[in-house]
Amino acid sequence: MKKIVIDPVTRVEGHGKVTIHLDENNNVKESFFHIVEFRGFERFIQGHPYWEAPVLVQRLCGICPVSHHLAAAKAIDQIVGIEPKDLSLPAQKIRKLLHFGQIFQSHALHFFYLASPDLLFGVDADPAKRNVAEVAIAHPELAKKGILMRKFGQEIIKTIAGKRIHGISAVPGGVHKKITLKERDYFLNSKEIPSVDAMINWSVEIIDFLKGYHNINKKWLDEFAEYPSGHLGLVNKDNGFLELYDGNLRALDANGKVTLNDIPSDDYIQYFNEGVEKWSYLKFPYLKDLGREKGWNRVGPLARINICNGIETPLAEQERLIFKLSTHGKINNKTMYSHWARLIEMLYCAEMMKKLLNDEDILSNDLVRKGERRSEGIGIIEAPRGTLIHHYEVDDRDRITRCNLIVSTTHNNEPMNQAVKWVANNVISGEPKITEGMLNQVEVAIRAYDPCLSCATHALGQMPLNIRLEDCEGNLIDEKIRS
Amino acid sequence: MKKLDHKAIVIGIGNIGRQDDGIAWLFLDYLKEQNINIDLEYRYQLQIEDAELISNYAKVFFIDATKETTEHGFYLKPCLPSITYNFSSHAVEPETILRLCNKLYNRNPETSILGIQGYHWDLKIGLSKKGTINFNKAKKYFNDKVLINYL
Repeated sequence: MKKIVIDPVTRVEGHGKVTIHLDENNNVKESFFHIVEFRGFERFIQGHPYWEAPVLVQRLCGICPVSHHLAAAKAIDQIVGIEPKDLSLPAQKIRKLLHFGQIFQSHALHFFYLASPDLLFGVDADPAKRNVAEVAIAHPELAKKGILMRKFGQEIIKTIAGKRIHGISAVPGGVHKKITLKERDYFLNSKEIPSVDAMINWSVEIIDFLKGYHNINKKWLDEFAEYPSGHLGLVNKDNGFLELYDGNLRALDANGKVTLNDIPSDDYIQYFNEGVEKWSYLKFPYLKDLGREKGWNRVGPLARINICNGIETPLAEQERLIFKLSTHGKINNKTMYSHWARLIEMLYCAEMMKKLLNDEDILSNDLVRKGERRSEGIGIIEAPRGTLIHHYEVDDRDRITRCNLIVSTTHNNEPMNQAVKWVANNVISGEPKITEGMLNQVEVAIRAYDPCLSCATHALGQMPLNIRLEDCEGNLIDEKIRS
Repeated sequence: MKKLDHKAIVIGIGNIGRQDDGIAWLFLDYLKEQNINIDLEYRYQLQIEDAELISNYAKVFFIDATKETTEHGFYLKPCLPSITYNFSSHAVEPETILRLCNKLYNRNPETSILGIQGYHWDLKIGLSKKGTINFNKAKKYFNDKVLINYL
């Protein structure tokens, strides 16, 4: 038997490794997507005062620190006795604006910087060409818009949290700073940066671009890494619409049957278990009722668009309806459609940012609420990559005694392993020669999930990524290592 | 403060929580105290959008800690646009940023890199002894040769 190793997997956040075992005829025997960083944040946060959690845990990640900041903040709100609905309206809206800015910039980063090289140049293109710098040179107008869209989201974050990475906005029971008129106008008047209206227009343009790409490449996009899975995410408590900040948990199976019926996020622990495998530091969450084999779910843009009843903003809703037509209204299990779903969410975020920027509440000083102290808090939000769960317990001296984090990429662990299996079985298996383009397709399938492996294992240190090919005795035949 | 006929920016790359990797940020802290007419930006890593940022300036200085052995503990060298690209989404080289600035925005700011040699990179705040010596040498050189034009 032979073994292929891809190490590191590239254009993802963090360090992962893929191993594919082949028999003597190059037929795939088994495949694994390993996460090889160690897990530490849940432990070393213990003993710290609870109000430090939103600041400390965002250090898990340099891409989506805002998501961790806000999930922790929601949990800490509960510890000071404040439910999401009890926050002042200005605090709710400022947090949501921060969250939409974060998702907008993260989705722009993924589409323009990480995914577009495969789409624009092809999965078999020269590896030296498959990077964002080459995209920028070959498609300068697209690149310039991508840069300014990411910048817009980052400027929203900087305005609210003080800096683009690892800033601070949330405090227990609210936020510490309002938005000033001058700060608000910066995003509306087009004087220094393109306005939020430009962000909406460009989001529509890029969706149109991708729809055109789908028309030309429909067969490949329909078939590549398509496999049945569950889909999990938050939905609006009142109408089941797309919800990114606070809602109920809903899951549907591959055929659209409800497997988790809009449960309050505080009850998550009754419904989820986490499995472990000896070959990965990343756990495997699943729905208890369905068990480890059948209870796993995709999370993130594709899952969210699949499970929601609608989108509250008009342009994104229009695009959602078009997206749903591609599967005749049924659940979409096609991995490559994640990119399209991600862009619909970008448009939704842009529309929501416009709505919130024009809301006078964000200029208010009514920022913090207090309630009755509790010993436990749970915060669940939809991060760019999917459902993010923060759960803390504290003692009488305000110290954190227990912390449980289930991050988006952890939910996507089994789906990504399924994606690797699909490529191994459908692209690599039985081929006499394994090409670089074939191995890149393994990465393309993983990349569609936009995994954040540093978040998923709460890593410290450097994060290279690795693909290995081994024979049946485990001897290494070929290996790609990028650090 | 001197009134300049051009816009200048110093971009410091590093992480203050990683010993000598914090050199560039400390350098920016030092520049901030000098009350100079230069914009300052702190970065963990450079990103593609920094090409757009530097397109707005006539002079650009990138400052970073380096593991390379240097003759004087630091170097100040011109930054030339690179044709190579590092695969990582986490870090883009100054040379790549400059190339993208040229290609996307048709701008070519006069760009330099100040590399200051570091030795220790663990999770700890504070420079190593040798790192501190190099930091001070680089400060003096930058003061005498560059900052003098901006004070």
